[in-house]
Amino acid sequence: MRTCISACLLMIVSNVALAAPVKVVATLPSLAALAAEVGGPLVQVQALSSPRQDPHYVDARPSLVLLLNRADVLVMNGIELEAGWLPPLLLQARNPKIAPGSLGLFDASRFVHLQQVPQGPVSRREGDIHPGGNPHFLLDPRAAASIAEGLARRLAEVDAIHAETYRNSASELAKRLRSLAQEEAARFSRLPAPQRRVCVYHASLVYLLDWLSLEQVATLEPRPGIAPDPQHVAAVLQTMRATGTRVLAQEEFYPQSTSKTLVQLAKARLAVLPGGARFGEGQRYGDHARALAAALYAAVTQAVP
Amino acid sequence: MQLPRTAFAVSVLAWLCVVVPRHGEAQEGLPAAATVSVEDLRALQQSLGVAASPAPVTAPIADLGSAMNPKISLILDGSLAWFRGSPGSTGGHDPSHSGFNLQALEMHLASDVDPYLHMDAQLVFGQEGVEVEEVYATSLALPANLQLRAGQFLAPIGRLNQTHPHSWQFLDQPLVLGKFLGSDGSRGMGSEVSWLTPLPWFAELRAVVMGAGAGACCSRSFLGGQQGGADPRDLLYTIAFKQFFDVAPDWSLLWGLSAQAGPNGAARGARTAIYATDLYVKYRPLADSQRAAVALQVEWLLRERWLMGTRLQDHGAYAQLVWNVDPSWEVGLRSEYATGLRDDALDADWTGTRTRQAVQVTWYPSHFSRLRLQGGHDRRPWMNADAGWSVLLGLETTIGAHGAHTF
Repeated sequence: MRTCISACLLMIVSNVALAAPVKVVATLPSLAALAAEVGGPLVQVQALSSPRQDPHYVDARPSLVLLLNRADVLVMNGIELEAGWLPPLLLQARNPKIAPGSLGLFDASRFVHLQQVPQGPVSRREGDIHPGGNPHFLLDPRAAASIAEGLARRLAEVDAIHAETYRNSASELAKRLRSLAQEEAARFSRLPAPQRRVCVYHASLVYLLDWLSLEQVATLEPRPGIAPDPQHVAAVLQTMRATGTRVLAQEEFYPQSTSKTLVQLAKARLAVLPGGARFGEGQRYGDHARALAAALYAAVTQAVP
Repeated sequence: MQLPRTAFAVSVLAWLCVVVPRHGEAQEGLPAAATVSVEDLRALQQSLGVAASPAPVTAPIADLGSAMNPKISLILDGSLAWFRGSPGSTGGHDPSHSGFNLQALEMHLASDVDPYLHMDAQLVFGQEGVEVEEVYATSLALPANLQLRAGQFLAPIGRLNQTHPHSWQFLDQPLVLGKFLGSDGSRGMGSEVSWLTPLPWFAELRAVVMGAGAGACCSRSFLGGQQGGADPRDLLYTIAFKQFFDVAPDWSLLWGLSAQAGPNGAARGARTAIYATDLYVKYRPLADSQRAAVALQVEWLLRERWLMGTRLQDHGAYAQLVWNVDPSWEVGLRSEYATGLRDDALDADWTGTRTRQAVQVTWYPSHFSRLRLQGGHDRRPWMNADAGWSVLLGLETTIGAHGAHTF
């Protein structure tokens, strides 16, 4: 009788354990979208920030502590993009599962070919630069594909029973993202060189421009994180005129007043790009990447109003 | 005999010179995948649509010996002040005289100790020397959502007491905090246990016990410089309960209740209790590209002291409203009061209600520096003097590790 009860209990417990989805928390909405697609119904994903927010400046709201406290896996961008808000949250979260060095902490930057890694000494005279390299790789679906594959390997370790499912869905996703990347890159490569020149607000589009073989002519910020000043804007205007650059591109969370004036003077277009996948509205990463490319393509090909 | 030995040494050296660099080169020259050549890998990557960039680059660590150094940041707070009337500052970091003031030079060091502990140290350098403001270890892996802290730290009474000047919006500390908690804030050697409750919203309970005689910090309400022993009645106890409500994506509300109890210096067995409540309401539209925000912060403290059969009760509060206009500009208003008692043996020169108003404008040249201009109006009616006025111009600069702040 007793064995029967304990066997029943064991079955219930193990069923519950099998049925409970892996709780994944992602710092950024694009990472959340990737995790949701890799994990499918096996994971329950929540994002700590909104795509409309600058990922450098997210408020460390205590409600985020709660999400981190209850997480099985934390997916973060890494290389200091979240340095201004994630460390105190992690300390307050009291969750050894997602501590550095644990299986539950997934740092996406480890799976990406990083760009703009400073090779010599660095100084804040150069602005608010990231000593580990440019952290804005999530705008490139090729990087996202590698991250999805890496995340699947990690989820396979955390939830070994479903290892196969994670790997399959990630390789499917990666294949789709890579062919999407190739398709879009091919479309952009057919454009004549002058149309492929763009000016950007913050040096956050390097991976995106690299993917679509666009050329960055200037940044509106004189140094990363330093607000544009009139002198620098004048210099950018001159550069845009001299090079025939017709597009100023920036994510939606950067200020637009100076940009609007500049595009008017330069007879150029302002391409405001989504800051990340609209994860809250159920958007998939692939659709986000397509939207990015479409917004840029429309800007570089359409005539100036 | 000398010659062969030298020859041997020279030959060993020569051998080392030849072998060691080659060994290094061989390692550096290793292709990303041992069995596939770099060219093949690139061709494969290209056909798959993977970025055909070189193998992942990681920033080289210049000196492996320093790889485990703690994160260090150094923050300077200096100001140029002008006062009409005596400043009557209550905070240890407040500008205290007309002219140039070194308010604080803070050094913060932090690192994980091991998988179980994290350590923080906050050292303050002043004209007179170095002061250990805080140094404590925090547990990282306790079960049941518990966390322990041990060392010297600021007590979780109210909101501002646990923070340092670089996270204050005004150049001086609210009057009531200086009056009740001391110029350096309520702090001491002790330990804390905190518990994140399983409620569906953020609710955290902290309980702290520390020495009540930890120096000047506690002398205004508690024992202060006098020696406290191991007697439980000589210790300072603090409890705090913090709750956070994310009312809407753009609205945040943090509400705290806290209390502190311990012996005071009037007589053996004389006790003091402080009760506090604090509220922080922030409106920050997430979609605003200027990172604009408006935050209201209020703290109210009530103090009760029992000495020789009489109960002395005083209280004080401040409310501040800060508007972050854009990443470069911020403006703030603060209004405050602190009451006093006519026959207060422990605080004889504060016999009435003092009120103070301040307004500040801040310019942030970057994320790591700010220039603040603050004007103040100060009334101490019991002193039979005209109201005091002040104008403060403060510069703050931060170098070192990228800091992060709790909400």
